[in-house]
Amino acid sequence: MIAERLRSALGARKVLTGKAERMTYRHDAIQIGALPMAVVLPEDTADVVTTVKLCRDANVPIVGRGAASGLSGGAAPARESVVVAFTRMTKLDLFPERREAWAQPGVVTATVSERAKPFGLVYPPDPASWRTSTIGGNLAENAGGPMCFKKGVTGDYVKEIEFVDASGAVHRAARDAFDLAGLLIGSEGTLGLITGARLRLDTPPAFTRTLMAHFAEVGQAAQAVSRAIASGAVPAKLEFMDRACLGAVEGYLGIGLPVHAGAALLIDTDGDDEETVTEELELARAACEAEGGTVRVAANAAEAEDLWRARRAISPSLGRIRPHRMNEDIVVPRSALAEVVREIEELGREAGLVVAQFGHIGDGNLHPNILYDPKKESSDAVHALAHEIALVAVRHGGVLSGEHGIGSMKRDFMTDAVDAVTMDVLWRVKRTLDPRGQLNPDKLLPEVSA
Amino acid sequence: MNHDIPVADLGPAGEIMAHAVDACVHCGFCLPACPTYALLGEEMDSPRGRIFLMKEVLEGELPLADAAPFIDRCLGCQGCVTACPSGVPYGELLTTFRATTEQKRERPALQRAVRAGLLTALPSPKLFRAGAYLGQVAKPFKSVLPRALQAPLDLLPGRVPAKFDMPTFVPAQGKRRARVAFLAGCAQQVLAPNFNAATLRVLARNGVDVVIPEGQGCCGAAALHTGARGQALSMGRTNLAAFPTDVDAVVTNAAGCGSGLKEYPLLFKGEREEEQAISFASRVKDVSVFLAELGLEPMLPLAKPVRVAYHDACHLAHAQKVKAQPRSILKAVPGLDLVEVPEGDLCCGSAGTYNIEQPELAGRLGERKARNVLSTNAAILASGNIGCHTQIETHLRRLGSPMRVMHTLEVLDLAYRGELS
Ligand SMILES: Cc1cc2nc3c(=O)[nH]c(=O)nc-3n(C[C@H](O)[C@H](O)[C@H](O)COP(=O)(O)OP(=O)(O)OC[C@H]3O[C@@H](n4cnc5c(N)ncnc54)[C@H](O)[C@@H]3O)c2cc1C
Ligand code: SF4
Ligand code: SF4
Repeated sequence: MIAERLRSALGARKVLTGKAERMTYRHDAIQIGALPMAVVLPEDTADVVTTVKLCRDANVPIVGRGAASGLSGGAAPARESVVVAFTRMTKLDLFPERREAWAQPGVVTATVSERAKPFGLVYPPDPASWRTSTIGGNLAENAGGPMCFKKGVTGDYVKEIEFVDASGAVHRAARDAFDLAGLLIGSEGTLGLITGARLRLDTPPAFTRTLMAHFAEVGQAAQAVSRAIASGAVPAKLEFMDRACLGAVEGYLGIGLPVHAGAALLIDTDGDDEETVTEELELARAACEAEGGTVRVAANAAEAEDLWRARRAISPSLGRIRPHRMNEDIVVPRSALAEVVREIEELGREAGLVVAQFGHIGDGNLHPNILYDPKKESSDAVHALAHEIALVAVRHGGVLSGEHGIGSMKRDFMTDAVDAVTMDVLWRVKRTLDPRGQLNPDKLLPEVSA
Repeated sequence: MNHDIPVADLGPAGEIMAHAVDACVHCGFCLPACPTYALLGEEMDSPRGRIFLMKEVLEGELPLADAAPFIDRCLGCQGCVTACPSGVPYGELLTTFRATTEQKRERPALQRAVRAGLLTALPSPKLFRAGAYLGQVAKPFKSVLPRALQAPLDLLPGRVPAKFDMPTFVPAQGKRRARVAFLAGCAQQVLAPNFNAATLRVLARNGVDVVIPEGQGCCGAAALHTGARGQALSMGRTNLAAFPTDVDAVVTNAAGCGSGLKEYPLLFKGEREEEQAISFASRVKDVSVFLAELGLEPMLPLAKPVRVAYHDACHLAHAQKVKAQPRSILKAVPGLDLVEVPEGDLCCGSAGTYNIEQPELAGRLGERKARNVLSTNAAILASGNIGCHTQIETHLRRLGSPMRVMHTLEVLDLAYRGELS
């Protein structure tokens, strides 16, 4: 038995074998998977190597896991596996003089900025789940966040990674030719287990201004975004939420959001020159007003933080509307935004399902969430609608995943988005690093008929 | 979360639990708010994990005994409820789950006896006082006692304070501005009689007539939360009968008792008194909330500024969502410099009988809290709950600190008397 072998090699403290324990490691934030055969809580890279080698010898699949806040089923085992949860690998070393940090994968994202703050530094990638999710999970999903419009995503802040491949070999990969680190970033635990990363830190902007604008209709909000950017503003963050989101968040926080509006935008401008920051905010304000929006500028940092807290709470607040959801994560060209948002709204109406939309609209990143009650609404209808939404993105020249990954959730849609030749290359890369298909099987890459 | 909980077989309790499980989207937002997750870093000891385990037990997929160790380690602090954007009523789930599963639990005889003893003594000031004296005598022999008896002793003071005889009525001073009924509390009366004395003086000083109904008893929270629903129900009935309805509010100065009273609608769900319980609970107010709404009579400025740290008791901050009012009444003291405690939202580890049932974890949390409190360099720590008071004071002393720990109303009382320094 693999569980016993892991126990005797690593010690009981690091291996969970009880049914109750294993049960709680079955899921991520979207999917509930198979009951793990054992859960390993490694404390260093050597523990990971031992685990991988034992699993390889026993021919048992391995699923990496951070905080399981993933939204595409990535950390939920698709079949009986050993789950390797990195939550105890939380060592974080700061090198302020080099503006760098070395993080083990279990470090919670928000901690990096908190620890860097006394040195006048920040770690910009800021997924809404930053207080929960881990650096390892962020790397595996190449997580983005509101900041990514101006500052980029997780991958842009990684200088080097350490990973363990399917044979148990440890690699250190920087960003030179070949960009092996880049290959692992966004690979959703299917190519290797990330055991450490050298992260780039940045200086925070001296000034930040925040505004919220609400609109009668979603399309107007999307048009305001295009107009603001065309007018020369480079907002630091540019977020969008529709009526359903506003209602759900207000139910949680009760901070006076415009719940009757069709949609709202949340915009930050920032920089080291106060005048430019204010000017840019004014450009954004003018664009919103020109599209019929009502604008409210946050008077101080506390008011701005309230608005951002609201933004970060959208996704989980949706549980207030329906207990279940299928969550999309499409990216479309900004020019097509207004049309895409309206089309999706229409599709939801036709299907008779609640669709809530929000996202980092500045990048054209949208999260249409289909909300449903599995007791009352058919999951086939939900799946069909999700597929239709994916096709809207592809039709408008977009892609299937901006930041949440493909996981098991969108694996079937990959063939719509990736041509056969490219798919073949992806599979050949996978087989090179994981010849026996043991790393997070049945995720990301669809089975291709031989 | 999707589930197959047999709601029809479980009745109103089943509905409460199914609703909570339904609302959880397993997003993990609650993880950083959970003290046991902070200490242990394991999913089973997180709110999300416990919801999962309770669901599996209710569905019959997991034996209760397998899940019990993880459910038992929950402090019931409700930090997760504040953090949960999806609105999962975790506190209701936990309370109901404990109440419906307690009779199926197998416990060692001594543990059962200690629990039963506590459940009898805690709600009765007379018995508790007797127990406390006994404890005072037993303390020197602690090391030779069985482990199950050592932990409760740690909770007791070295000396039991002198008794304060509760009056049945305290008249307003000056112009009468309101009339309230007051819950005297149980263990608190014995361990810290001055909490009530100070509270009554401050209320009177602010023009409030206070009725202390004689027939009142324990709120029943300790019983309900350890799974003794029957006992809690009879205590609840006693109080529903004892408290008058013609008052502006039912006031409490103990966070745990306040939330206990506010839980009556949950306790009486499906019972004959459900309506009455709802109306009673709507009148219950923590004394800080009542005073903040009433507006405090002015005080003379302090001779020199005093630095006071405020500790959020879980049963005020998370269970009752009372955070602003205690701070605002403290800030009303001219010259009082109010400071925040780092990691303020993390439970101190007291949590009712937790000290007795999980002494190791309770100790680690207590020490962590005491260190955070010390880092504020305050002269006084104010809080609104006897459990936190005892726990934090114990750990401050262990760390060698003489910092004063007081009830929020004791601080106000001293300020009114010109003795705060
Ligand atoms: C409320 C909410 C808001 C969110 N907002 C955002 C957002 O704004 N932007 C965004 O991009 N995402 C967002 N997400 C999604 C999720 O938080 C991110 O995908 C995050 O990066 C996942 O991190 P995790 O630690 O929870 O990883 P998990 O969910 O545990 O794992 C995610 C994937 O990474 C793999 N993995 C984990 N650790 C390792 C490792 N060390 N080595 C190899 N593979 C590993 C897993 O196998 C899995 O495939 C949100 C999620 C929630 C619930
Ligand atoms: S925050 Fe709420 S919805 Fe999210 S996992 Fe925790 S209890 Fe469930
Ligand atoms: S009540 Fe407190 S200890 Fe229990 S799960 Fe919630 S946060 Fe954790």
